[in-house]
Amino acid sequence: MTPADHSIKIAVLALATLVSSGCITSRVEDTREGLTGINSGEAVVIMAKSYHLGNETEEKYIRCVENALARGSKGLNVIPHQEFVDSLFPWFEPRTAPAETKNLPKLMERPGVAEKIAAQGVRYIIWLDGETERVAGGGSLSCAAGPGGGGCFGFAWWQKDSDYNAAVWDLVGLESAGTVSTDVTGTSFLPALIIPIPLIARTQSKACKSLAGHLRAFIINDESA
Amino acid sequence: MNSGTLPHAETLIIRLPRSGHIAGYAILISRTRNLLAGFLLLGLIAGCGSNVVLQFPSIPIPLTEKIPIAIGLRMPANFKDYVHKEQVYGREEWSINLGNSNAALFTQLFGYMFEKVTILQASDDPKLLDIDALIEPSIDAFEFSVPNQSKTDSFAVWIRYRIKIYDREGALVSNWPVSAYGKSQTKSISSSEALQRAAILAMRDAVALIIMKLDDTTLISSLAGASTPVTAAPAQAPIAAGADTEEVHAGEDDDAS
Repeated sequence: MTPADHSIKIAVLALATLVSSGCITSRVEDTREGLTGINSGEAVVIMAKSYHLGNETEEKYIRCVENALARGSKGLNVIPHQEFVDSLFPWFEPRTAPAETKNLPKLMERPGVAEKIAAQGVRYIIWLDGETERVAGGGSLSCAAGPGGGGCFGFAWWQKDSDYNAAVWDLVGLESAGTVSTDVTGTSFLPALIIPIPLIARTQSKACKSLAGHLRAFIINDESA
Repeated sequence: MNSGTLPHAETLIIRLPRSGHIAGYAILISRTRNLLAGFLLLGLIAGCGSNVVLQFPSIPIPLTEKIPIAIGLRMPANFKDYVHKEQVYGREEWSINLGNSNAALFTQLFGYMFEKVTILQASDDPKLLDIDALIEPSIDAFEFSVPNQSKTDSFAVWIRYRIKIYDREGALVSNWPVSAYGKSQTKSISSSEALQRAAILAMRDAVALIIMKLDDTTLISSLAGASTPVTAAPAQAPIAAGADTEEVHAGEDDDAS
């Protein structure tokens, strides 16, 4: 095999690695409890449910949903969650944040709270709950290197489950507007015959995109989505 | 995943001898061995412990009304310079230096909560000061868990503060333990950053609880109206003699994030 053949082979393998991904199955569903809609001056804020309640939602996932909701021609005005939390300190800290919509009227009566929320134009608070977990895995892979070169041999696989739930609170009606949930399961593979070829199932990324898409449609009340 | 050794890796940074020079190869092998031993030693030293130094965790201005009393704030020495050391699983030693962060945080907190705060040094006599109550915070316990222990991706920190409140006669009127908890994931940040973040979240958690519950729990506002010094200290000068004593006026630290 000539050096040129080698280069072509490596390039094809690299391309295959880039375009390949593991198997993914996803499910998104919503439950509507009230009418929704959003005006041009209104905004949403994405919050993680409190870690005091055992929630493990990743910071990266919250940022992903924030960015995905704000993106595109139908993008929503999203207030960064830390900015919102700081502006209402100490009423949205993990320990003090309202756990149910029935606590909202009392919260809004506290000095300055309703004014701060109105000043930022926050119409909806979206509470995220859930996490990405590795639920199974197996296989065996070993790599070695020596004076004559190196390589890997074997096969490994793992399964991840990204299960997230978003509860939408309407701060005008002080009531729950409904929930949107997504469950994405994917299996990644790593076969190796000298070179490992990762076939990664990006479940969290998929869960972010699908949840953000459905949340946007849910809030603007877009039946076509 | 197993990885083998790379005996020729160092040839990238060591000039190769010309072919045929056996003595040169012997030197090369010796240098390579020494370098590998050096890297191994460095790796072992680096893996033996972690040192976390906490930065000042500033808090935003709270959306609460000030409690209309004048307080004195006295912080013990170990509260101003708290270091926690712990050996985890007999493998790794962690040193968490909270430094002056607690003193700075509580000074800012009480500055936001009360109309007037006077910071006392150990030598100051609170009876000589124009205050309604004396607050003395301390740390009862500091604990943390690393991902290996909790079998999660998170560092968690628990801090138990104790808030003692004295009236201006020096009688203890309240002794309130405040338990706080912070948790931070290690994904996308280093372990020491995650532990530092968990500690800051725990401190912020304590602050939120103190803002919400201090008056309800300790009835500190009921001590209002007793702020007349018992000695002939100047009425407008709460600091009798202590050169180290300083006064914090409400809203002075409004540079919070």
